[in-house]
Amino acid sequence: MTTQLRGTDVVIVGMGAAGGVAALPLAEAGLNVVGLEAGTWLDQRDFAPDEIRNNYRDWPMLVKKTEQERPTSRATSATRANQIGGHPMMNAVGGTTLHYWAQSWRLNPWDFRVMTETTQRYGASRIPRGSTVEDWPFGYDELEPFYDRVEREIGISGQAGNVRGRISSRGNRFEGPRERDFPMPPLRWTGFHDRMADAARSLGWNPFPGPAAVNSQAYQNRPGCGYHGFCNKGGCPINAKNATHITTIPRAVDTGNLKVVTRAHVTTLEVDSNGRVTGVNYVVGSNEYFQPARVVLLASYTYENVRMLLLSNSRAYPDGLSNNQGQVGRHYFSHHQGAGVSAFFPYDLNSWYGLPAQGVAVDDFADDNFDHTDLDFIGGGNLWVMSDRRPISAANMGTYGQSRNWGSTWKRFIHEHSDRTHGSYIQKTTLPYEDNYLDLDPEVTDPLGLPVIRITGQFKDNERAIAGFMQDKMEDWYREAGAIEVNRGGLGNTMGASTHAYGGTRMGDNPETNVVDRWGFSHEAPNLGVLGASVMGTSGARNPTLTSQALSWRTAAHLVESWGDIAE
Amino acid sequence: MGVALLLTGAAVTGLRGQAPTTFVVESPTMTTGRFMPRDYSPDGRNLSPPLTWSGLPAGTRQVAVISQDFGAGRPPPWVHWIIYNIPGDAGGLPEGIPFDPDHPMPAEIAGAVQGNNGWGLPAYRGPAPPLGSVHNYHFAVFALDEALDLPPGLDRGELLLAIEGHVIGQGDMVPLYERQPMNQFPR
Amino acid sequence: MTDSKGRLPAISRRDLLRTAGAAGAAALVPDAVTAATEETTSTAAAGERQLGTALPSETGPLPTRALANLTARETEILSAMVDRLIPSDELGPGALDAGVLRFIDRVLSESGTNAADAYRSGLAALDTYSRYTRGSPFIDLSTVDQDSVLIDVQIGAATGAGVGFVGGSGSFFNMVKSHTWQGMFGDPEYGGNVNFVGWDLLDYPGVRLGVSPEDQRALEADQLEPVRRSAYDYGIFE
Repeated sequence: MTTQLRGTDVVIVGMGAAGGVAALPLAEAGLNVVGLEAGTWLDQRDFAPDEIRNNYRDWPMLVKKTEQERPTSRATSATRANQIGGHPMMNAVGGTTLHYWAQSWRLNPWDFRVMTETTQRYGASRIPRGSTVEDWPFGYDELEPFYDRVEREIGISGQAGNVRGRISSRGNRFEGPRERDFPMPPLRWTGFHDRMADAARSLGWNPFPGPAAVNSQAYQNRPGCGYHGFCNKGGCPINAKNATHITTIPRAVDTGNLKVVTRAHVTTLEVDSNGRVTGVNYVVGSNEYFQPARVVLLASYTYENVRMLLLSNSRAYPDGLSNNQGQVGRHYFSHHQGAGVSAFFPYDLNSWYGLPAQGVAVDDFADDNFDHTDLDFIGGGNLWVMSDRRPISAANMGTYGQSRNWGSTWKRFIHEHSDRTHGSYIQKTTLPYEDNYLDLDPEVTDPLGLPVIRITGQFKDNERAIAGFMQDKMEDWYREAGAIEVNRGGLGNTMGASTHAYGGTRMGDNPETNVVDRWGFSHEAPNLGVLGASVMGTSGARNPTLTSQALSWRTAAHLVESWGDIAE
Repeated sequence: MGVALLLTGAAVTGLRGQAPTTFVVESPTMTTGRFMPRDYSPDGRNLSPPLTWSGLPAGTRQVAVISQDFGAGRPPPWVHWIIYNIPGDAGGLPEGIPFDPDHPMPAEIAGAVQGNNGWGLPAYRGPAPPLGSVHNYHFAVFALDEALDLPPGLDRGELLLAIEGHVIGQGDMVPLYERQPMNQFPR
Repeated sequence: MTDSKGRLPAISRRDLLRTAGAAGAAALVPDAVTAATEETTSTAAAGERQLGTALPSETGPLPTRALANLTARETEILSAMVDRLIPSDELGPGALDAGVLRFIDRVLSESGTNAADAYRSGLAALDTYSRYTRGSPFIDLSTVDQDSVLIDVQIGAATGAGVGFVGGSGSFFNMVKSHTWQGMFGDPEYGGNVNFVGWDLLDYPGVRLGVSPEDQRALEADQLEPVRRSAYDYGIFE
């Protein structure tokens, strides 16, 4: 027995990184917004600096819904997909921003025009075989004001490298031009960061402090970061990590125009005979509801965005909502973040305190910032060195051949070396390909009987070539700083479920190859919008969150401006 | 069995490009082509077996030993044991070399160090082939013309690279092993 | 009974547990705790239900309490295994002193039957493997032989029909090691890292809510006094 609720102007499915941002301009414009969130409100009291709970019991991520919908994954369509072990997202008001690493980057201009830039500089044959990459329907300059706005609404700390064309070596000289500096200076550096920055300069590189959605000082009545060391998959006990539940969402609620409904599990979207969405179905416990809306915005992260569309069949959309062109699920990719490099130093790094977003970055080898004429790949990677160490993981470090990993000899080893290893984080250009995609798994279902997402994806030659190249650079960097041993991970094969999942509802002008238009609205169902990295067609060498939030704000602003046209 | 198999996958040249001479490698408790005792495997006490060698070429300064199974590993061989910096006049290895770096090497091979086997352990770990299959275990002994004094923890590839150009003699023996179901052991 | 370095251990756990009859069993239960046991001799059973007198700990490890989720024999074997993973030595207390057994017992209470079954079958298999291959029950082996057994269990070589490791000996080893590490180095709230001995071993400067630039500078100058508090001592977390 489904309860029909009173209609609202906009329903946002998911109050996480993207949905939590879109709510604010909509609510400020006076639209009535219902934000449906499968999780609940959490606060500082839930975020003890507890490594067992955060990192070994996966507490923040073990919230019921995502755990029960874990995607399956396989390398190619020739093999059977297996369900992944754990799902890297969280259900809560604020979503994964509650415990994410909070690195908060703008994409570089090249990332918006990979096709054109590559063709012009190196020739069309350098576009990797099988890639379906397209230029974005707009460039960096179009998004710049929204990056600026969101950086201020959320609170991003950093050091500008290019303000209106004026380059500063204290920031990233390769970044796209900014209208003005960050709202806050960057997070501080430790002695180890200084040492790594010096080493980078010795190599002729341009190190800079990375941008973070973390207060470096008091901002919006919240304190500056405490650097306590439990930020990695942990919530912030002092509200210095700028998740949407303490920034944009409460300000939207305060307008009186946003109603957040928690524990709301959205299942399908309804459409009318004209192919327009009419609202969403959701369950709270065993109670079923239908929330009518004039506009629906999907913001439930890449896998669920795609899944909800594919599960919403109707006469107008027999293969899934907005999928008459067969593009839902296509152009998917998991960001290449692996193939890491770790190192062993002969001195203490003093890394017990800090956070993943507190880092030294090198962008000299990202995008097209260097000459690829004689190389066998396009794009590149960002090198990142953070300060982040907790006791159990320190005690689990590799022993670099000096001891087996338990016993007396090990005990002496760890006593001496607990603070002497480091692992780097290298994000790389990842592209969409014809044979990487999302669809519904033919066998595995969630407790409601609905099929989970199946990921079919493999890193291709271009990604693997970048990975090997970046490993060389990272090793050079570590050794310049005095590392005595360096280890490398494998170059990557199957794309599993990722914390950076892109595509599936790609944004572009061409309705035959994209699901949403340049504003984020479906080419087929005009009052359906999609928010999140599922609209992004390229990754760049950085995290998607700030870009997805800037896009969200832009989509919401467009909706406000064009309300009459879109909502009819 | 012999030099050809030893050299599978690795080019090991001797002094001035000459082929190394061969010498005899034996054991008081093992024989080429026969099953080795289970105490040299995890079906027993998993002790390193004793080896003896003789007739090493004049000028041998140090000895290196690799125990490997060419019927396992991806790619083969699976390495069970690497031990090197063995004094050139040692004459062999006693049974039960310590697996723990805290315990000293027996006096007769003072200075010897262990490299990383296939499990990443600087120790001997004996045969554990799948139940029902018989595997060959090559104990390859290299006579070196120099006291290379290599660091501990080298794996097979690193060791072979390091001794390249220094091998003046080689010998080996190849006992077999087959696992028995545990509940057949009399206790 | 000296160890390989010729040192006399302070009362070894093995000795403690094998002190004859009721006195030994009583030492398992220093407090008035009802231990759930299945496999006990009548004298041991009587002992375990007495109010035991704790043996003086001297400089050695704390007396063992039988766990709520494992029998006395299972606890003995687990104790011996954990003692080898992170031994007590001149560098400081090891896993047993850190309360890792208590940590594991709580994990088993909270996790339900699957985890407890995994421990029970694994500990039985460990003992079977020790007897078949080294000729004695695990707790009776020398520490060198115990280490040798555990290496083979870790690398998955402790197989062979009849031993009984479900899903491979390596996964049992990894489960126990993982719990041991959490119990040794995790927040004391969970029952382990008693007196913060795990954090002392690592020289971990401790849980603070704020690390000022001065704190970081002091850390880098090796002058930062460690904080020894559980996260939950801050009184604001749930």
